[in-house]
Amino acid sequence: MLTRIMRHDWRLLAAERTLWAVSLLLALTIGYGVLNGASWVAFQERTLRAALAEEQERLTGIKTGIADADAGRTSPPSWLDPRSSYAVGYRLGTRYATMPPAPLAPLAIGQSDLLPYYFKVTMSSRQSFLSADEIENPVHLLAGRFDLAFVILYLYPLVILALGYNLIAAEKEDGTLAMTLSQPVSLGTLALGKIGTRFLFVLALAAGLSLAGALLAGADLAAPGALVRLGLWMLVVAAYGAFWFALAVLVNAFGGSSATNAVTLAGVWLGLVLLVPSLVNVAAKAVHPVPSRVDMIQSMRVASQEVTARRATVMARYLEDHPELAGADGKAQNEFGVRAVATQQELDRRMEPVQEHFNEQIERQQALVDGYRFLSPAIVAQSALYDLAGTSAFRYRHFVGQVTEYHQAWQRHFQPLTLRNARFTPGGVDGLPRFAFREEPLEAVVRRAATGLAGLLVPTLLIGLWAAQRLRRYPVVG
Amino acid sequence: MFFTIARKELLDMTRDGRFRWSAAITLGLLLGALALGWQHYREISQQHAAAQKATRQQWLAQGSKNPHSAAHYGVYAFKPKQPLSLVDRGVDPYVGVATWLEAHKQNDFTYRPAQDATAVQRLGELTGATVLQLLVPLLIVLLTFNAFAAEREQGTLRQLLSLGVRRSDLAAGKALGVAVALGLLLVPATAVGVAALALAAENGSFAASLPRMAWMGVFYLLYFAAFVGISLAVSARARSSRVALVTLLGFWILNGLVMPKVASDLAKAAHPTPSAFEFARRMELALKNGVDGHDPQSKRAEELKQRLLRQYKVDRIELLPVNFSGLSLQEGEEYGNLVFDRHYGQLWDTFRRQERVHELAALVAPVLAVRSLSMGLAGTDFPQHAHFARAAEDYRRMIQRTMNNDIAYNPGSRSEDKAFVYMRSNDLWETVPDFRYTAPGTSWVLSNHVISLALLAGWTLLAAAAAWMATRNLRVD
Repeated sequence: MLTRIMRHDWRLLAAERTLWAVSLLLALTIGYGVLNGASWVAFQERTLRAALAEEQERLTGIKTGIADADAGRTSPPSWLDPRSSYAVGYRLGTRYATMPPAPLAPLAIGQSDLLPYYFKVTMSSRQSFLSADEIENPVHLLAGRFDLAFVILYLYPLVILALGYNLIAAEKEDGTLAMTLSQPVSLGTLALGKIGTRFLFVLALAAGLSLAGALLAGADLAAPGALVRLGLWMLVVAAYGAFWFALAVLVNAFGGSSATNAVTLAGVWLGLVLLVPSLVNVAAKAVHPVPSRVDMIQSMRVASQEVTARRATVMARYLEDHPELAGADGKAQNEFGVRAVATQQELDRRMEPVQEHFNEQIERQQALVDGYRFLSPAIVAQSALYDLAGTSAFRYRHFVGQVTEYHQAWQRHFQPLTLRNARFTPGGVDGLPRFAFREEPLEAVVRRAATGLAGLLVPTLLIGLWAAQRLRRYPVVG
Repeated sequence: MFFTIARKELLDMTRDGRFRWSAAITLGLLLGALALGWQHYREISQQHAAAQKATRQQWLAQGSKNPHSAAHYGVYAFKPKQPLSLVDRGVDPYVGVATWLEAHKQNDFTYRPAQDATAVQRLGELTGATVLQLLVPLLIVLLTFNAFAAEREQGTLRQLLSLGVRRSDLAAGKALGVAVALGLLLVPATAVGVAALALAAENGSFAASLPRMAWMGVFYLLYFAAFVGISLAVSARARSSRVALVTLLGFWILNGLVMPKVASDLAKAAHPTPSAFEFARRMELALKNGVDGHDPQSKRAEELKQRLLRQYKVDRIELLPVNFSGLSLQEGEEYGNLVFDRHYGQLWDTFRRQERVHELAALVAPVLAVRSLSMGLAGTDFPQHAHFARAAEDYRRMIQRTMNNDIAYNPGSRSEDKAFVYMRSNDLWETVPDFRYTAPGTSWVLSNHVISLALLAGWTLLAAAAAWMATRNLRVD
């Protein structure tokens, strides 16, 4: 019975212009969105390639620079001398810590246009290289990008509502509802059949086009975890679509006319997709305000000034802690190196707590705001889609954690060399610590996506049950 | 006659539950947005003002050090906010809040507030501007989509016209009715906005903000008038009220949600910006060929040395009546400034061209015209950010010049070998005046947005003309 209803309904739908017009629109926007995503990913990859090429060139330049300086062909000043470990660690040999775009990145630009994706790590403090913003007209950041995620979050529900707003109301207004229901079929089965057709069609369109788009955009589906992410992406799109279909059935089940349904559904779309997110934003800022970066800047300036002012004391204390570095006269054998390392360590010691405190506050605020996302399926879907595409703040924070570790390794490598004033040799270039980005374990991503799916499916189920209950009391005539 | 029509329309609307609800919600959101904007403005501007004072204090309390070390320590410049930003936050979340004014480098602004917020923020912020640009037009659409279409369907249009009511009166009456209905919403909101502005602005900036606010009001009214005209025209032409609603909602979505993003894509395609890596690399290469003030052996430093030796007719640097390091540092700065001006100039020029594309895209979507004018008047568009960045950079160059000139010409620093152990204290730091920034005036802002102005006016006239013509050829059934 159900399949008969679905087949019949499909024939009716396919004959209408609306379906094809709307499908074409969806297809075009999906294609355009994927194209945008792909070009952004290509830009990021080009930039990373250029950065790594520059790094290679510079590191090779160190080897030849050492040879030239030794041969007396050049006489570089000390802070540019490739034979000085300090100069190499601080400026000449600095390496890039890069986060390559995730396999599904063309599908959602997400936060990746705002958050850095590479850092140039030096011996100096972390704060000196952590602001590595990409150049972008801020008006573009304000308006957001037209990517596949935008199409799914905003336009896909509209397509669903356009196909579902007069699901039952149209039949009632045409007068065929009474006739159909005089047959041994329940309104629930009829509604399910009609929804089924539309749901399958829209899902096939959205999921199929997303997959086609991803392939065309060159998404590397062979990468580890890519297929799982893609599968979860399709599930999120399906669940999000199911929510809006359930909503359409519910509104129909109240028995209003097509026009009333249309306006009601448009109002709900507006509320859930535009208003609730902005109200959540407001609530988040009011209840969980972000600590002030301005205060952080001030604290760091004060710390830096104090360390500079008390440099002599800092150095004396360092020599006390490391007596092996002192010469017979009690002063440092290598004054420059000891001073550089001592002041850097003292600076880090003072600035780290400020930075950590700030990071903790931000993460706490973001975790709390993430909790509010269940107030609207659009926010849940946005969070899930960005996470699966690898353009969310989760992946960025994971990256920054690894960069911090790499920075510490870099400092651990160079500080002893600086203290000894060790000569930097061409062989040293090959021994430089290297950064390799490790993706988050797939379980973490899957767990977050599962929470998102639950956040979409539970309201869908509740709405579906409510709709089923109302359909039992649907006024078929009058 | 059309007053009667207007009164009847107004009565209809205010008695309609749907209008009451949607207007109440819109008014609530608008007032809420203004209140939040006021609180945010107050908090941030106090924070930045305090930080600016603190950085000045840090500069003065540096103690005894070499002027070049002081130049390296530098000061921070914190981006000021204008009172009208309580209505339109513009690009402020997406530009950095502070820049470090240090030696040898023109730094970009760091710490964009949006980076510390979650992804929900990208789904839309509740500001006065978003309510006025997105929600009020939607309200207009809901009020007017069935202005003619419903009358036609109910049969009352035929009756009206059979009474000899002039079509122009009908159109004008309906437009006036909608305008007054909107006024019930907008007048209290404007009053609250002006009060918020008065509370927010301090020491004379209220008087300076009033003309900006007046212009903002005018432009939003033109935008709303354009929407009223378009809705009436579509309602008059559409086959049924359902078709009218779908068309207008489609236009609203295209206008408010789709076109801003498509305009960004067009702007990026027409005038691409370099990547940050590329930008930094080009500047670095250009600077390398200049004078490195710290490195006495660089080629241009050598040229400077020869020039000075010839000028003062001595044969050794130590015999110069001026300090060579100071002069070479300043020469390095001057060269660097040329490089920065060229590169940043090119970048900001590209951004300006991109803005032109956004403004031209208003041919399709009037919201882009009103958005750019609104951000301009609120002081939160990119040109005004660049204006502040320029002022901060000029201040930085003044600090460098003062420090380097002191090293170069102060009798106490005459000989070469004392160059970097020469110390100064408060008396020199105090000769650098405090950083004072004056925001540009209203005419500067308007001159930056002439295209938007023209297109907005064009839209309003076009909409009025379309409504006029549609009602002249009104179909009775």
